Amino acid sequence: MRNVYRKVPDRCHRKDSLMKTFKGGIHPNDKKELVEDNPIAALPLSDHYYVLTQQHIGAPAKPIVKPGDEVKKAQAITEPLGFVSAASHSPTSGRVKEIIQRVHPVTGLLAPCIVIESDGKDEYMPGLPLERDPFSLQKDELIGIIKSSGIVGMGGATFPTHVKLSPPKDKKIDTFIVNGAECEPYLASDYRLMLEEPQRIIDGARIVMRILGVDKAIIGIEDNKPDAIKKMKEIAPPEVQVEVLKVKYPQGAEKQLINALTGRDVPSGGLPMDVGAVVQNTGTCAAIWDACANGIPLIERITSITGRGIKHPKNLRLRVGTPVKDVFEFCGGVVDAAKIIFGGPMMGIAQFTDEIPIMKGTSGILLLTEDDTNLSTYSACISCGRCVEACPMGLIPSDLSKQGEKGMWEKAVGTNLLDCVECGSCTFVCPANRPIVHFVKFLKSLQRAASAKAKGA
Amino acid sequence: MMSSILLIGGIGCVAALILGISSVTFAVKMDPREKAVLDQLPGANCGACGMAGCAAFAHELTVNDQAEMTCPAVNEEALAVISEVLGRSLGGGTSVVACVCCKGSPAETVDRYNYIGPKDCRSAQIIAGGAKGCGFGCLGLGTCVDVCPFSAMYMGEDGLPHVIIERCTGCGKCVEVCPRGIIKLIDKTGNYSVGCISKDTAKVMKQLCKVGCIKCGLCVDICPFEAITVSKDNAALIDQNRCRSCGLCVGVCPTGVITPMRKPEKVSIIAERCKGCAICEQICPVNAISGEIKKPFVVDDSRCIGCGMCIEKCPTDAIERIRS
Repeated sequence: MRNVYRKVPDRCHRKDSLMKTFKGGIHPNDKKELVEDNPIAALPLSDHYYVLTQQHIGAPAKPIVKPGDEVKKAQAITEPLGFVSAASHSPTSGRVKEIIQRVHPVTGLLAPCIVIESDGKDEYMPGLPLERDPFSLQKDELIGIIKSSGIVGMGGATFPTHVKLSPPKDKKIDTFIVNGAECEPYLASDYRLMLEEPQRIIDGARIVMRILGVDKAIIGIEDNKPDAIKKMKEIAPPEVQVEVLKVKYPQGAEKQLINALTGRDVPSGGLPMDVGAVVQNTGTCAAIWDACANGIPLIERITSITGRGIKHPKNLRLRVGTPVKDVFEFCGGVVDAAKIIFGGPMMGIAQFTDEIPIMKGTSGILLLTEDDTNLSTYSACISCGRCVEACPMGLIPSDLSKQGEKGMWEKAVGTNLLDCVECGSCTFVCPANRPIVHFVKFLKSLQRAASAKAKGA
Repeated sequence: MMSSILLIGGIGCVAALILGISSVTFAVKMDPREKAVLDQLPGANCGACGMAGCAAFAHELTVNDQAEMTCPAVNEEALAVISEVLGRSLGGGTSVVACVCCKGSPAETVDRYNYIGPKDCRSAQIIAGGAKGCGFGCLGLGTCVDVCPFSAMYMGEDGLPHVIIERCTGCGKCVEVCPRGIIKLIDKTGNYSVGCISKDTAKVMKQLCKVGCIKCGLCVDICPFEAITVSKDNAALIDQNRCRSCGLCVGVCPTGVITPMRKPEKVSIIAERCKGCAICEQICPVNAISGEIKKPFVVDDSRCIGCGMCIEKCPTDAIERIRS
């Protein structure tokens, strides 16, 4: 297969045919060398933390503190409204200064945000961190702990974890998959976690296996992380299997990962649980371990600060709510960055301001220079079919993009618009430079607006 | 040679005969009124009536005696003709026109980021709520112009859409697609509009836009008819039922956000009817009327603001509106 974009890093030494993968996908240059060898560092305590109340997919969460309240580290400051929702916790001890409107990094719109003024003591709630044996707890207790700890999918989608771990009775789960693929170029936060703290991931995975009642777990890792594969294989107990995946984007997308590891296809409009699988990110597993064994909620995560636009790329252990400005300062400052992206280059979201905080789903912050970005305009579709070849979901992105130009969402829904996972493979290969994912997002927004209108009418 | 002419000609004759017979036998009987109604409808097939197009709506009107005139684009003359054809009086008809309530051209406003995506406002809006700093400002990509079925809108050189009032039928297509809700349907007879719907305070407004409503309330104070309302978090709003088009608000607005929608109206006195009672002279708020008692009065065009107060008070109906 001829693919002009094919650039497989030198580290990938195996033959392609030996490794598991899915159909479609692309081979971007992974650029992980910028940051992958930097050990995880901690950021000094910031003066203020900005905890957004909506850090997850689903119903919003309501603040339960008011300005002037004293809070301790790990104290709950929002409560979930509804089942598909998640709480947030104070990242340090101090005082609630105010509740303001701040730009939300995902939507770009103003959203309520709790500002916590640090008192510099960084004291936990009384009794924390505790030490308990999570394997002596019952399934429901564990799910309760995960829910109250505000754990969400930390790969970036931020779907509340307790929902994923409570499948309906009629769905039999037989496979648990730990997602260590980290297929987004540039990012290396999961890699560092697997290398430096593999025990947390394995133990967290064992807790999830207990909750789901499965006796086998698979950790899928892309072949461009041989050190992590070695490390995980060394310490993995027999019930946890480490599988090597072909280096291909989007190998870490839920449905593609399930397909690569089990050969099952998640049906159109379905969920992984429909084929008996549950997928959790490595970071989520580590957070589950912290919550269940030590009682510490999700208040910090590993984030890669990378790209040529930052002076010293680093892997940092960041508290949720840390102002991005402090992070950039710690990394030596921004050097002629043309684009700041929350997440990776493929699925991340470009930001227009640095007045934003770290969120639970911020796996990386990417600073691209002008050379790395493509700001030119797009032209008409030349019907070359490269996007069709690249689409991991088997869609026809060229059609979707043309429908997007015309705003024909009804027709697009008929051509499986809603199955698009917005991975960006089509946009990456498009020789006409068409923003296909943007068109898809646009069509989805029209579809959402129309269905909301239909509901209201 | 001859045989081929005969053959082709023969085939032609037979085909013509078949076509002629079938056109009579299979003719679809159409109500002549339907055609007459269709002729009067705008023919843009915009769908605002709720039917698939003008032909479908004309059919509905003809066959269904209860059908109401839901076409927002039909004008009064056409409405009269349709009523006559159908033999029943139909209400409705256009009473509104679209009005773009934003004056913030790119030169007057600040952008938050550089948008390079598709030229569609709805598409731009999904990226962090649009590039324009003011959340109530026109994104200027012209989606409203693209959807207008009557070519009643155009993008001006200032980068903003403009409505050609004479062509606008008030169908509301542009209102539907505007992601920021900037386009409003206002009374057709209105003469002045406020080009801003911002809910931002004056302080925020000043940083984002030079021509936005700063809620100073000067227009409210000067309006002789209490037609304008403004509050801390709502831009000035003209109640078109109360507005008498005097235009005083335009003069006092510090940011120039209130503008005439068309050339202002004036009044003129019909000399034959005027008895010279001088009531108009006394009532005129801008001293535009003068004259001698018991002789025809005259209006000073340069002063008249077209408020029409004199028209109401004139005991002999001697004053009429004119377009300047």
